[in-house]
Amino acid sequence: MVIKKGRFTIEGLENVQINIGKVTSSDEAEEPQGPTPAPDIHGLRDWDMRLLKRYEPVYSPICDLCCYCTYGKCDLTGNKEGACGINMEAHQAREAMIRTLTGAAAHAGHGRHLLNHLIKRFGADHPIDAGPSNIKAPVTQTVLGVKPETIGDFVPVLDYVEEQITQLLATAHLGQEGSAIDFESKALHAGMVDHVGMEVSDIIQISCLDMPKSQADAPLVDMGMGLIDSTKPVLLCIGHNVAAVTYIMDYMDEHDLFDKIELAGLCCTAHDMTRINTRAKVVGSLSKQLKYIRSGIPDLIIVDEQCIRADMMQETSKLHIPVIATNDKVMYGLPDRSKDDIDDIIRDLASGDQPGVLLFDYDKVGELAPKLVMKMAPIRKEKGITALPDDAEFKKLASSCTQCGACVIGCPQGLEIDKAMEAAAEGDLTLFEELHDKCIGCGRCEFECPKKIPILNVIEKAAQKVIREEKGKLRTGRGQVGDAEIREEGVNLVMGTTPGIVAIIGCPNYPDGSRDVYEVAEEMLQRSYIVVASGCSAMDIGMFKNEEGKTLYERYGGGFLKGNLLNTGSCVSNGHITATAIKVAAIFAGRDISGNFEEIADYVMCRIGAVGLAWGGFTQKALSIGTGCNRLGIPVVLGPHGPKYRRAYPGKAYDKDKWNILDSRDGSVHNVEPAPEHLLITAENKAELMPMLAKLCFRPGDNNLGRMIKLTHYIELNEKYLGVLPDDWHIYVRGEADLPLAMREKLLKILEEEHGWKIDWNKKKILEGPARKVDISFQPTNVPRLCKGAVE
Amino acid sequence: MAAKAKAKELDTTRNAVPFDKANIPGPKMAKAVQAEMAGKFISKAKRPLLIVGTAAGDDGVIEIVRTMAEKGIPVAATGSSLKRLNEEGIDATYVNLHALVSYLKDPDWKGFDGKGGYNTTIFLGHNYYYASQLMSTLKNFTKIKIISIDRHYHPNAGQSFGNLKTEDFLKALDVVVAQL
Repeated sequence: MVIKKGRFTIEGLENVQINIGKVTSSDEAEEPQGPTPAPDIHGLRDWDMRLLKRYEPVYSPICDLCCYCTYGKCDLTGNKEGACGINMEAHQAREAMIRTLTGAAAHAGHGRHLLNHLIKRFGADHPIDAGPSNIKAPVTQTVLGVKPETIGDFVPVLDYVEEQITQLLATAHLGQEGSAIDFESKALHAGMVDHVGMEVSDIIQISCLDMPKSQADAPLVDMGMGLIDSTKPVLLCIGHNVAAVTYIMDYMDEHDLFDKIELAGLCCTAHDMTRINTRAKVVGSLSKQLKYIRSGIPDLIIVDEQCIRADMMQETSKLHIPVIATNDKVMYGLPDRSKDDIDDIIRDLASGDQPGVLLFDYDKVGELAPKLVMKMAPIRKEKGITALPDDAEFKKLASSCTQCGACVIGCPQGLEIDKAMEAAAEGDLTLFEELHDKCIGCGRCEFECPKKIPILNVIEKAAQKVIREEKGKLRTGRGQVGDAEIREEGVNLVMGTTPGIVAIIGCPNYPDGSRDVYEVAEEMLQRSYIVVASGCSAMDIGMFKNEEGKTLYERYGGGFLKGNLLNTGSCVSNGHITATAIKVAAIFAGRDISGNFEEIADYVMCRIGAVGLAWGGFTQKALSIGTGCNRLGIPVVLGPHGPKYRRAYPGKAYDKDKWNILDSRDGSVHNVEPAPEHLLITAENKAELMPMLAKLCFRPGDNNLGRMIKLTHYIELNEKYLGVLPDDWHIYVRGEADLPLAMREKLLKILEEEHGWKIDWNKKKILEGPARKVDISFQPTNVPRLCKGAVE
Repeated sequence: MAAKAKAKELDTTRNAVPFDKANIPGPKMAKAVQAEMAGKFISKAKRPLLIVGTAAGDDGVIEIVRTMAEKGIPVAATGSSLKRLNEEGIDATYVNLHALVSYLKDPDWKGFDGKGGYNTTIFLGHNYYYASQLMSTLKNFTKIKIISIDRHYHPNAGQSFGNLKTEDFLKALDVVVAQL
């Protein structure tokens, strides 16, 4: 008999009712439990302090004032205190924590909505099935010490996440926390619980909605603004939460409508649509949102939650594109028509009497959306509605620009729109075609233009030739990395023969266009790094092709193997990235993970050469994802917009005292090379980024072969992009066996001549010089209690 | 004499509004400075550090970096500027700008030459928003002087040019180095 949650009576004992609230499996009872199951906000503070001592937070205020209460505004310039007593440093730490919390809340809120919805649809006892793994929810297990089996088991997990978010947010109130370093610890806690929330969100949708389950060869799907067939009715879905859209896809399948309607998605909802049905198409990442709406191509827009433009209704109503909002996080002041008749709603939207509606009844969404889009398409086509100017208007608009430069000052990227406008007036579109990819589609320029030129429309019109060619391929999100893959690859990662994992995550606010992430991925793949991608970055990576017309997803496998490119999926699939590192610790190193976060994070930081890259990160979610990686000991690099998050965790390689580490065999202290050198850092451009990525894959636990391979890439990338040998390469050398084979003689000579090391030239051995020697038995740890003989 | 003539016809304090319009940090914003004065401030600095970003590779600017380096001002090459500086034979040390501001904040940092930290930083050739944000670290958490001789007004510097046309910017740099 399977005991489920609920209530039942026993024959003969009709007056007795037995309620079962939670079913505990025997496995759960036997699982060794670590010291911090479900830690509260100070539960991992010691670990945070270890991190923050080595990687001291550096603040870069975006505003020198504090406007948080009615004591203020307070001028905190120069680290002054405000009226409440908080100084600039603590205020900045609080601001960073609040943003991390916002990101965590967005994912957790998404997860809670989805969990409630899926429990209602599939039942709380629906089993978890995210792939062939014994460790089904690694982040959840590591943080909370529980092993969920059904989707209902995630209810208390999200309860925990929500409680932590509430407790953390409470500390931001006036008169609460006043210490910068403790705000940082709290931010790290928020980042960690964010990864729990993300993991829950993705596991439940994989389990219930039949998405790929750890599938290395998940199918390829079409992607790009250029591939949408605008002769058909176009139904565009925007956001992150696929719940409502699944009903549309089901209806379209049942009524054989996929040939009659273009169903396209934008941002992470698109990821999840294609994970369910590969006939859905992906328009692209977030930066395409306003551009694609302005094209006038969508005949109907469905929105759910997150990363949707706040001016959606202003934009769509001008173009007679009805909007159906399906999630109460985004309601735009629209009327709730959930209880109304479908035909009445269609009539009001098609006529334009209502520009949009709220519809929380997803059965109705499923039926209404295909019907409405087929009705809207001929109406809109007849009217020829588009925001884009025709050729004559385009020339007139470009010629009306006075090159005052207001648009350039208004542009977050400082793009030289004025010069492109001048060239376009002369009939030269090349500057606009180049600018198109760099433009993030925010529309700020239009508010600055004294001539009221609809600049975004001009850019899009000028780049039509380029846009038509925007056709790429995306490997649909595969979800988790399976246990078997970890068994196969874990040894290479820990030994360093796979030089590292580069996880390219986050949003498309790139400093120099989306091509950068493609090029970063390509170079690292060629160098046998494992490249993991998610969210908007995963899409942009698939938008570019080689000379043979193939995208990276077509050229590289999707397994967890060196030189493979994995798309984990939408934003919430980022939880699988930290989960992978946890699995390496559990499966390869045999560490108990339940409620054992500190030990696992310590292992990851000492052993696993993984680095996150949020090159275009600008949302609060990107910060919380990165901060969660940081707490697990994974360094993260941000693009040049990154300092606007207000703080980073750079390391100081020159401060030797910060790089002491313990040998867990005997508790002895060893001064080691700075590895990883930074925990959270920014880079100015791709050229600076490339060697930095390689360098951040060094770990104290590298063996000779691993260090040699990592050093080879670091040196080669530095020479390629910065033109010289890195000036710090020698500090990563512990013996001649660490030196890249092809450069060994040359490097030995440099060590001798420039750094004064003693070399035995007959044996080509280093006699003196390195800060430490390799000891293959060295068991690095940052946690004293993990050392042999330590007293708990 | 040519530099003096340039200084007379050039006003580098005009249009001193943040190049990124919304980048208004607070009550303390950079004083707009004439090129000649900027040059004098730099020449009087006891421990100056020229921080050169990737855009310094543009024609005209690189020669200014060379001249300043030849005058004995140490050069920190941020971003990917080192490649161009090396090609030009200019002695410089690569450092990540974010890491550099954290070093500058550290009273125990011995500098690139082991002789101690720097009391004046000179910014040239930077990605605007990146440098602006990291100047705010120096502005709020150090006593280090920040002089921006970049093309656009940097509110988080102590002294900055206004927003200049390219030709005026290059003229201004000539005026600066004439003071060294």
